[in-house]
Amino acid sequence: MSLAGTIGIYAVAAIGLNVLSGYAGQISLAQSVFVGIGAFAGVGLGSLAHLPLLVWLPATFLAGGIAAAVAAPLTLRLKGVFQIVLSLGLIFVGNFIFVNTPALTGGNSGISAAPSLSLGFVDFGELTIGGMRYSYEQGLFIVIWLCVAAGMVAVVNMRRTRFGRSLVAIREAETAAQIAGINTGRAKVMAFILAGAFGGLAGGLLMAQLRYVQAEQFGINMGLELLIIVVVGGLGSTWGPVLGATVISSIPILATQYAEYIPFLQEDFSQSGQFGIPVGQVGLIIYGLALVLVMVFEPRGLAHLLQAGGRKAGSLFRRAPRGRWTRAAADRK
Amino acid sequence: MLHVESLRLEFGGVVALRDVTFTVEKDEFFAILGPNGAGKTSLFNCLSGLVRPAGSIKVDGTELIGRKPHEIADLGIARTFQNLGLFGSMTVAENILVGSHLQIRGGALSAAFRWPATFSSERRARARADELMELMGLREYRDLVVETLPYGIRKRVEIAKAVASGPQLLLLDEPVAGMNHEETEAFVDFVLELKQRLGLTIVMIEHDVAMVMRIADRILALDFGETIGLGTPDQIQRNERVIAAYLGTVDGSQTPALLSMEEATSE
Repeated sequence: MSLAGTIGIYAVAAIGLNVLSGYAGQISLAQSVFVGIGAFAGVGLGSLAHLPLLVWLPATFLAGGIAAAVAAPLTLRLKGVFQIVLSLGLIFVGNFIFVNTPALTGGNSGISAAPSLSLGFVDFGELTIGGMRYSYEQGLFIVIWLCVAAGMVAVVNMRRTRFGRSLVAIREAETAAQIAGINTGRAKVMAFILAGAFGGLAGGLLMAQLRYVQAEQFGINMGLELLIIVVVGGLGSTWGPVLGATVISSIPILATQYAEYIPFLQEDFSQSGQFGIPVGQVGLIIYGLALVLVMVFEPRGLAHLLQAGGRKAGSLFRRAPRGRWTRAAADRK
Repeated sequence: MLHVESLRLEFGGVVALRDVTFTVEKDEFFAILGPNGAGKTSLFNCLSGLVRPAGSIKVDGTELIGRKPHEIADLGIARTFQNLGLFGSMTVAENILVGSHLQIRGGALSAAFRWPATFSSERRARARADELMELMGLREYRDLVVETLPYGIRKRVEIAKAVASGPQLLLLDEPVAGMNHEETEAFVDFVLELKQRLGLTIVMIEHDVAMVMRIADRILALDFGETIGLGTPDQIQRNERVIAAYLGTVDGSQTPALLSMEEATSE
């Protein structure tokens, strides 16, 4: 249950990053900073100020968005490699700010949080449906996946309309987009703000799940992980963030859990002197392998792979003659 | 409607445009002629706000210099690119919808919440895009990804995208480059029809001298960033500096060679 929650949280952050990197083609490693900002905003409002869910959770979304609005003019000025390096700088700035506002973040040692999941009429912390009582984790799971669903619907709507098209146009040919009348600067800032806002929302959810957050979490590792999720899932695809999050965040956890059944995998090699892979590093190896495999064999990501696979499976079930006929007709077109 | 006055553009020490002055009247078909490197595309880049020259460019009295490209687009000026400014991964319909960006309302938030006004404006734009595709013979390519289409079709999509913004002034940068004779003929008919139907004023950069002479109302000839001729096709045809620039001679008696100018200039 907690794994499914984690996947959902990473998916929310990745949905935002996908708008920025997948659609608008702007690379950022600093998505983790906005997750952090959301998390600490959540600590302040949800835990320290004891505000209800309906206040603190949207506030984490806003906090991430506002922070991104502040950072956007800096990052979007640059392109390519320079943009990546600048986003790295943003991570250090973010970490510095987190560590030096101990009232909210507990400084280096982190801070515990006990947010309320109550909407007033329904409390996701102690959910009761039809006489069945659900635990805090189960309630939170529902909240998380509601956020994932809302995020996906919002992004699909954007992609189908003017704003989404202008982002893709910027990615494909920025000059031509300007000539078509797109205010490319503003569109990119908006994409960055959306990315930051979803990052913030994910931070708020992460804080509610872990009930303990620490500045160190929101460093370069998480930033890389989110970018990898978006790329492996499929840049600019609707299901990419969810698929990527499912694969990338679940494999290390599952590998750790089932370590004893996987060959060459052990808790610790420092004592035995045997050759093998320590459990703690499986995650890294999986990221690396997934990234290499996807980039080499399907740069469009898992979402595209599944889509193509689904189409193939669908055609297997169709009756053969009709299938051939429709394909021929499609070819003739 | 378009007044360009003493336009000057320099890149470092290189002068791309030197005191270029001309006027384009409403409904005119105005052509810009010149060998490679004459500054034709630089001139277009000035007109669409991609570079910032000295001098003055006015459209219906509004100064363009200092405005951003998207602001200039908003004034009703559209352009095509020589090497096509299409969005490869998008379908033909989507490319045209990007072209009509300025006619659609709604931003990120109104789209996210399916705000009715945004979606009805979107639907109207789609209907207009369908009409335009019908007019341009692109209907059968509607949902195909642009990258997969042949060059000739893509050129048509490029023009459809430019026209979709409902411009009053259309800038065409070498629209028939890479086309054979028949394709060029078909294209000319097509552009003239489009001009008539949509009430466009067109400024076109072109290498194909014979074609330009036939369809342009007036011609501006450039060489090394300088105006070497401005006038009707007849006047340009008799302009010694233009002939010299194209044939590499200052001998005016070369006029009969005009018919072969097409060969001389098609690279």
